[in-house]
Amino acid sequence: MSSHREAPEISKDPVADSTDVYAFVSPDRPDTVTLIANYIPLQEPAGGPNFYEFGDDVLYEIHVDNSGDGVPDISYQFRFVTRLTTPSSFLYNTGPIGSLSDPNWNSKQFYSVTRVDHAGPHPLGQNLACPPCNVGVLSTPDYEARLGSPAVHSLSDGIKVFAGQRAEEFYVDLGSIFDLGNLRPLQQANVYGKAAGLKSAPGVDATNRLNVHSIAIQVPISQLTAKGRPTIGVWTSASRQRVRVADDDGSNISSGPFSQVSRLGNPLFNEVIVPLGKKDYWNKQQPAHDKQFATYVAHPELAQLLPVLYPGAFPHLAALDKAGTARADLEAILLTGIPSGLIKGFTNYTGAVQADMLRLNTSIPPTPASSKTYSILGLIAGDAAGFPNGRRVTDDVVTIELRAIAGVVYPLIDPGYKVDAVVPDVTDGLTNTSVTNQSLTTFPYLGVPYDGYDNPS
Amino acid sequence: MDSPEGRSDAEREAQRLSRRSVLRGAAGAGAAGIAASALAFTSAPAFAAATRPARPAGGETKDAEATGQIIVHVRDVSTGEIDVFRGTSQTRVHDRELAARLTRASR
Repeated sequence: MSSHREAPEISKDPVADSTDVYAFVSPDRPDTVTLIANYIPLQEPAGGPNFYEFGDDVLYEIHVDNSGDGVPDISYQFRFVTRLTTPSSFLYNTGPIGSLSDPNWNSKQFYSVTRVDHAGPHPLGQNLACPPCNVGVLSTPDYEARLGSPAVHSLSDGIKVFAGQRAEEFYVDLGSIFDLGNLRPLQQANVYGKAAGLKSAPGVDATNRLNVHSIAIQVPISQLTAKGRPTIGVWTSASRQRVRVADDDGSNISSGPFSQVSRLGNPLFNEVIVPLGKKDYWNKQQPAHDKQFATYVAHPELAQLLPVLYPGAFPHLAALDKAGTARADLEAILLTGIPSGLIKGFTNYTGAVQADMLRLNTSIPPTPASSKTYSILGLIAGDAAGFPNGRRVTDDVVTIELRAIAGVVYPLIDPGYKVDAVVPDVTDGLTNTSVTNQSLTTFPYLGVPYDGYDNPS
Repeated sequence: MDSPEGRSDAEREAQRLSRRSVLRGAAGAGAAGIAASALAFTSAPAFAAATRPARPAGGETKDAEATGQIIVHVRDVSTGEIDVFRGTSQTRVHDRELAARLTRASR
């Protein structure tokens, strides 16, 4: 998946497991950027009685690098606290929850937001209410109007924040992809699919009707960029204190400095690029040190697997692999940004430092969804406002990255390279329309979370 | 912005005070010749946590600073390498005698 359960250790700690990061110029407030970090993957909407919550003992951060060194110049820190209304009850709610302060809601969560920059920490908000999980039509009626929307908080200086449950907007055919790299639309050409007699079929969205927990912040562009540098690098991290002691009363004692346990910039980086034996280590590192992983970008395992899994379909990619050619195209997309001169009128290059960050050129205006140039395939389809220029909620990052690894942009590096004929058909067969609860047109953009009553499994 | 260790001046001051407290505590326990050093944590968050929420009422997580507790990790008995955790600080001390005494106490 994008980064759901992508490494052995973090897969056992879902509260701190980042799943997706989005960064885009806000379509309805184009003088702002929206940054979103999702956590707690694959939430079954009916997962009670202890419904999903952020970790009170986790430090969540969204980082912005505006100087190109892979080190944050600005970090937004989020800390959570859970308060029980009726500790003597086992119930999440003792009646319908009609508002964020409803006493029927037993387990409420609140958070603080702090901006940390070169001048130090700047508290932006305290005791901000999260919405409850969307339990069901009886417990959380009229969810968005009564609970979701009121949980959007306007802070000073034009900043908005939201933290709480949302619909999973990332779409991917996990069931097929993790079954020996099968892509249902092309499974008749997959070496194993062909042997099994499979025919081409539409994709199946494995993450549909599941929820995540989202941290979203909308900030004026002027508060994020450095003078003359419109491109920012964005990533999220989660950290835990280094020591945890389980006490006899059932509580845990945490102590020591915070130590990073999860991070995420570009979708699928740790998942698909970094080898299994290094994934936990990668999660502990800062982007500034990503040069040590550059060889996995330059020679990605998946690029070598595609010609094996789909015999005869990728002859030019196979030749590129065989020659041992470093994939400068992927290095640019994932590690430095795309320099000017490769794509007319576009760059999101941040400098020579190789760092996995989602790079957003904030000077590029959002493409209206109604525009002919709007495409969920983003930059490779000519829509410069989409991935890998930042990432919008609707972008088809699975298809974009599959095609990129398959060589669709390599001609930018070597104009003599011929892209394999199959590449425009490479996809897991899904689009954003595969998602039942569609994204919103306003902050926090992610759709209304699925309720447990109507989505019990 | 942050130092190579990823720490602010205030945190370094807290670290220094914490180290002094450990030294004082160790001296009170009869330890002599103790050596302490601040650590550089490559895995620390880029900015250390700037704020902390109020503790949850009836919550399940406490932090050691709020409870006044200190957690000690004897990393290597032979060299006397000990990590002392308090609040959000970690201090490394080298004290073979203290490490040996803790080892004896744990048996």
